[in-house]
Amino acid sequence: MSHTVLVCDDAIFMRTMIGDILNQAGFEIVGEAESGLQAVQKYRELKPDLVTMDIVMPDMGGIEAVREICKQDPDAKILMCSAMGQQALVVEAIQAGAKDFVVKPFQPSRVLEAVQRVLG
Amino acid sequence: MVDPKYAALFLTESREHVRTCNQLLLDWERDPAASEPVNGLFRAIHNIKGMAATMGYTGVADLAHLAESVLETIRAGQAATPDLIQLLFRSVDALEKATDGAAAGTGEPAADLLKALDEASRRAAAPAPPAPTPAAKPAAPARKGPIGHLVGVTIRPGASMRGARAMLALQRAEALGRITALRPAATAFERDDFDGRFSFHLRTDAPMPRIEEAIRSAGEVAAVAFDGNVVIDAEGPVVPARQIRVDLRRLDAMMKQVGELVVARNRILALVRGDGSELAELAGAVSRLVSGLQTEIVAVRMTPVSEVFDRFPRLVRDLARDLAKQIRFEVEGGDIELDRAILDELGDPLLHLIRNAADHGLERAEEREAGGKPPEGRVLLSAVRERRSVAIRVSDDGRGIDRAAILAKAKRDGLAEPGVEVLTDDLLLRVLARPGFSTAAKLSGVSGRGVGVEVALGRARALGGSLEVHTEAGKGTTFTLRVPLTLAIVRALLAQAGAERYAVPLAYVAETVEFDARAVTALRSREALVVRDRVIPTVHLRDLVAARADREPARRPTIILEVGERRTALVVDALLGQQDIVIEPFDAPRGMPPYLGGATILADGAPALILDAAALV
Repeated sequence: MSHTVLVCDDAIFMRTMIGDILNQAGFEIVGEAESGLQAVQKYRELKPDLVTMDIVMPDMGGIEAVREICKQDPDAKILMCSAMGQQALVVEAIQAGAKDFVVKPFQPSRVLEAVQRVLG
Repeated sequence: MVDPKYAALFLTESREHVRTCNQLLLDWERDPAASEPVNGLFRAIHNIKGMAATMGYTGVADLAHLAESVLETIRAGQAATPDLIQLLFRSVDALEKATDGAAAGTGEPAADLLKALDEASRRAAAPAPPAPTPAAKPAAPARKGPIGHLVGVTIRPGASMRGARAMLALQRAEALGRITALRPAATAFERDDFDGRFSFHLRTDAPMPRIEEAIRSAGEVAAVAFDGNVVIDAEGPVVPARQIRVDLRRLDAMMKQVGELVVARNRILALVRGDGSELAELAGAVSRLVSGLQTEIVAVRMTPVSEVFDRFPRLVRDLARDLAKQIRFEVEGGDIELDRAILDELGDPLLHLIRNAADHGLERAEEREAGGKPPEGRVLLSAVRERRSVAIRVSDDGRGIDRAAILAKAKRDGLAEPGVEVLTDDLLLRVLARPGFSTAAKLSGVSGRGVGVEVALGRARALGGSLEVHTEAGKGTTFTLRVPLTLAIVRALLAQAGAERYAVPLAYVAETVEFDARAVTALRSREALVVRDRVIPTVHLRDLVAARADREPARRPTIILEVGERRTALVVDALLGQQDIVIEPFDAPRGMPPYLGGATILADGAPALILDAAALV
């Protein structure tokens, strides 16, 4: 059975791109969220195997969403999607419970490596 | 004659040993059969004895010798009774006093203690019980607890965000045990120039291959080295951090100089701005160097909060004895780091808050059991790193603060309107922190709390931080002391109101938005702004500082301040960009409005006032 993924990003462009990369590698995208709040709600509903999380989003940013999700499920497997120059935020996200990160612009091979590590 | 420069060294090292002793005594008290604490105590006290003798401090050396003799009898099989452990606690206190006294050239250890120690060691020696355990061999390394490794890690040079990767690797290691002595400090991981190498001490019983596997599972790890074993990779050796001791005053002086350098740098940059000359280019280069120097010095000053936290287990133990209560004291986040200067200011307020929790927060065992709680009360001291601040919490699972009684008191004192029915946490804090509150109020379960809260609130504000209280009847009380990571130089947002400029520390700025009259609403009869579905009360800086009412600008930028969970929208005339500012110590004159947190000199040489975000939200 393929792994299920929840993709969280406020840009449709990024959601589509991450979705395509993961789809082609055989993952099943079960949901998308465009805000931190939605991410938390959908995580509760869908219980996905993996979450990709953008850092800057409206209505609760990605880091706060990570904190909330990990509060409900300490084993949640969350992969942060960061832009260059956001190292401090990524460090904070990891402290909040994120399991790995990828840096934009995305290279499919890098994304998949990180996903493998997270699902380990 | 011993060189006086050794006296300082003796003092610093003895204090460390005393701290170790206290920790070990606490461990031992919990498990009197364990041999590791005894051996550790023996080593520490033996070290103090050796140093004191070298210095010619015979009083200290004698005391240490007697304490050592008592420990010797225990290693020889004498049972560790509570009385004996208490005697050793007293000896360690006396040692601490005696070392300080000796270095200052005063004081001799109390004679009655020396006598008690002497008797204790003789008593044990006389009947000579047949030593039942093989622990008699002093050299027996009867290690039971987990052992540790010094671990050096190198992140692959080409990896993106090596600091974040390092943090991942660190967390994988942390899953196996306890991490201490992290070098460089975790804050270095947030910097773009972090070179990907770090080392730490990991206390674990996991074997080395498992540790290495865990760290490598973080990805992008080039090398893992253990216990100073040098591993050569493409980037050179991973070297365990070497350390030296530095007088704190030197660091303070350096910090001050760098602060002035930053101000001068800002002025130069303002003078040559955009003129494209060779001078401007050079100024840019100097500016980057100054920034680097500043980060470096701040990093040097970062100290784990355990330096202050470590003294509390002992304190709570003594308190529990005095109060005849059962208290479990727990510490979390001891490895979180803070500027030394801030950390030094936290001992006092935390002491008050912890004492309050133990004394007033926790009920007696009978009362707890009647209320369906475990007889042992719990006090938790924890530190959590937030974006640019650290939140330190003192929580108890006691009876909580009686809101009805406090509200009645607040109404009597005119702090609350007669019609108010609910005492908010904010108002509660204001009432608790009123000078003289504790002596004035003889309310059950609250008397005595006042002094501590007043001290903690005052200290938090002086450090540019805040204090919050949360209490629930029957469940307990939590005080949250929030302080910035570092003092002295902070990044600030400059804002204008009327003709004056004000600095708002960036640590408390959540975002900036445009004031939109259509988004104005009311929240508990105050003006408020709706920002992305959140209703945030507004404060107009113009009104606050009574700026002369010349024409109000058409566009009004708004700064969303955030302290903990609370937010305020500060409406200003204009935003003037960001700048590093050096906070000048500020002896608040009487009647100074609470929302002013200090003063600074801006890049153009003009002074500006610093707004205290915590007082505005």
